[in-house]
Amino acid sequence: MNGEAIFEARDIVKTFPGVKALGGVGLSLMPGSIHALLGENGAGKSTLIKVVTGVHRPTSGELRLDGRSVDFGNPRDAIAAGIGVVHQERNLIPRFSVAENIHFESFGANRFKPIDYRRLNESAAEWLRMLDLDIDPAMSVTELSTARMQLVEIAKALSQKSRVLLLDEPTASLTSGETDTLFEILRRLRDNGTSLVFVSHKLEEVEALCDRVTVLRDGQNACESQSAEGLTRKDYVRLMIGRAESGSGWRKRDTRAAPQVLGLDDVASGLGHSGVGLSVRAGEIVGLYGLVGAGRTELARVILGQEPVTQGTVRIDGEAVRVADVSEAIHRYRLGYVSEDRKGEGLILQHSVLANAGVPIWRKLAGRFGFLSDATVRAAVLPYLTRLEVKTPSLDQTTANLSGGNQQKISVAKWLAAGVRLLIVDEPTVGIDIKTKAYLHDLLRELADGGTAILLISSDMPEIVALADRIVVMDAFRTKGSIENDGDYTTMSEKIMTRIQDRTPSGTSSGIGETARCA
Amino acid sequence: MPSLTRFVRTDWFGPLLACIVAIAIIQSVSPTFLSLANIQVLLLALAVNALIAFSQMIIIAIGQMNLSVGAIGGLAAIAFAGAMEVWGLPAPLAALFGLIIGLACGALNGLLVRISGMSAFVITLATLSIYKGVNLGITEAQAFYGVPQAVKAFGSAVIAGPVPWLVAPTALVAVWLWFMLRRQPVGRFILAVGGNEHAAELSGVSIARTVVTAHAISGLLAALAGILLVARLGVGQPSIGDDWLILSFAAPVIGGAVLSGGSVSVAATLLGVVIVAIITQALVLFSIDPYLTQVILGGLILAAVSFNRLRESRFIGRFGRA
Repeated sequence: MNGEAIFEARDIVKTFPGVKALGGVGLSLMPGSIHALLGENGAGKSTLIKVVTGVHRPTSGELRLDGRSVDFGNPRDAIAAGIGVVHQERNLIPRFSVAENIHFESFGANRFKPIDYRRLNESAAEWLRMLDLDIDPAMSVTELSTARMQLVEIAKALSQKSRVLLLDEPTASLTSGETDTLFEILRRLRDNGTSLVFVSHKLEEVEALCDRVTVLRDGQNACESQSAEGLTRKDYVRLMIGRAESGSGWRKRDTRAAPQVLGLDDVASGLGHSGVGLSVRAGEIVGLYGLVGAGRTELARVILGQEPVTQGTVRIDGEAVRVADVSEAIHRYRLGYVSEDRKGEGLILQHSVLANAGVPIWRKLAGRFGFLSDATVRAAVLPYLTRLEVKTPSLDQTTANLSGGNQQKISVAKWLAAGVRLLIVDEPTVGIDIKTKAYLHDLLRELADGGTAILLISSDMPEIVALADRIVVMDAFRTKGSIENDGDYTTMSEKIMTRIQDRTPSGTSSGIGETARCA
Repeated sequence: MPSLTRFVRTDWFGPLLACIVAIAIIQSVSPTFLSLANIQVLLLALAVNALIAFSQMIIIAIGQMNLSVGAIGGLAAIAFAGAMEVWGLPAPLAALFGLIIGLACGALNGLLVRISGMSAFVITLATLSIYKGVNLGITEAQAFYGVPQAVKAFGSAVIAGPVPWLVAPTALVAVWLWFMLRRQPVGRFILAVGGNEHAAELSGVSIARTVVTAHAISGLLAALAGILLVARLGVGQPSIGDDWLILSFAAPVIGGAVLSGGSVSVAATLLGVVIVAIITQALVLFSIDPYLTQVILGGLILAAVSFNRLRESRFIGRFGRA
């Protein structure tokens, strides 16, 4: 079946300093087909897309176009070879007209030749008509809706004679009506022989649209360029999550007698949550599981008072409260949050270890006149840094120079030093090696044993099963009940998947097709 | 109606309205304001100031800033005057010499920004000091007085009525800039790099070449402003350019330029210069302390920036998110 592939990636390895993002991944694209590329965050999807579109050079492996080996030095080479991409972020030039954006590429020929806008508009109108888009080509792209900007980018890619078109989460910001329109257009392109790659976290869309599928997991193919026929949402979930070794280190912990620290009751938020209910007791670890886009990180932001609660009650220590802002959440209610985005939100990378670990308690430690001495901060945070075995040459070391695992320890340590009662930990082990991961797991258990309530957000199912006392399943910004964890991976993953599955009322739950295990 | 809203939403509508209102108010209080003599004074100031503003505007277009605008103008001015006095070069050749110096200084700014990867703020802060130092080293802070009569005559002659010859080069430059930023790929590249550098690069625009081009144009325009000022003053003063910086930002900003790049308007910047000139002139007419001009200029910049921000935030809300 490789004979007729228009584009192939063979055995692609891509390493970044310290990380192997792709470990021998394959992808083969047929003309006139829509190929789904799936995987959880960190699985290697975006790295693969960047290799295919010439942004990254593969460390090893081969790209083949029409059966010939190709080497893209930069994105322009890939475009010239007929590989177009519509990135997740918009790549239009603001305030320029639709037509100018579509044809911007062609300006390079002569830098001083006056632009013939009329001809530009006429030519752009043709591409827009092809996509059934009723847009005035002379209009500024800034005046378009997000959906239409996206379609303009597709028109731009097509005008560059793309035979392979990659769409990275094109529906992330579209309404369902807009999505339907987009799908019609994609199907038409497919029927005209274009080879499309569709990246999405929304599995129903994949089921509705794609005829072939590649799933990545931890930088490997969980499934390569397989026919999508007979595969269901459940199979995709299974392939994406994988069947890793069962939860190691899980032990039964009984916290039923402990008082409730955080309780959410039928909470709705400005971010789109509705009917969210969960409770965390002192010393309890509650896992919040869901696929990417289920609204978990957003829920953390609601709990921390960054986004308003529009309905329902939030209880802290049994008392209904309204957390006004993050500062109040930290200082008054003593809630802590270890961000999923360690580098962007969790740490100030250019600052020292000491400064990072001390931020939340500066206010508490500052003297009467607002003075703050290094010695005071040092005394307050050192026990925690020692306890977490943070490996740093000195406390004055710049945080950016430490490994991911050590950075993560610092982001946990700073909350320990702040004496939080509830710690929300968001994807704590993404991008962290196995040893440190096990260590962080032990650490979270220890914390809980010490009485800290922990809300663990993770897309890593083995991690959730290994750590949590109870698991709350979230899907589409709603909670779908909580499950008592028994530490057995097989039965727990079944139960979790059934909950997520709930949305699609079809009765295909029996006998998960063996077809799913094609890796 | 659509044509009216379109008209209202253009960059130059706000400044034009402000201009008309300001003129109407000042004229009603002081009827001599629109006298021929006064208009000529205004136009003379405009001729030089517009070039200073354009010199900064082209750098704002790529989302950077050029602190060395005044230093380049001053260096070109003394090069022009010095070449005539010391070397006895004819005026056109001396002017060409000054322009080449400006172009080279600007291009050097662009190259340094590109090669070092540092912000234009830092680079041009350094070159500001270098260019000014070279200027003072050459002149030893003494002015060149040997400016030929023909040059002085050009600086004060009128084409017709109150319109001085000095505005002719500025008008040509304005039309050229307008055409370039509207119609020529090279100008569109400059705006594209300022609007979304990443997207521009993916569309095959050479960022390095565009940045250097913009800086070279900036240097050229600053040099032209310096040369015209020598003609107007009749002296090659080393201090030319020392007070250009605030004005160079004020006019484009009043004209609605987005400091992060990608959006500048030649017409609106010109109106920004007019507004500044009118207000300066009005203070003289009302015999208000001239030092107040600085205060008012600062206030104008703040007002214009807040207004632009308001406009921009509406825009970012729809476009800025991924």
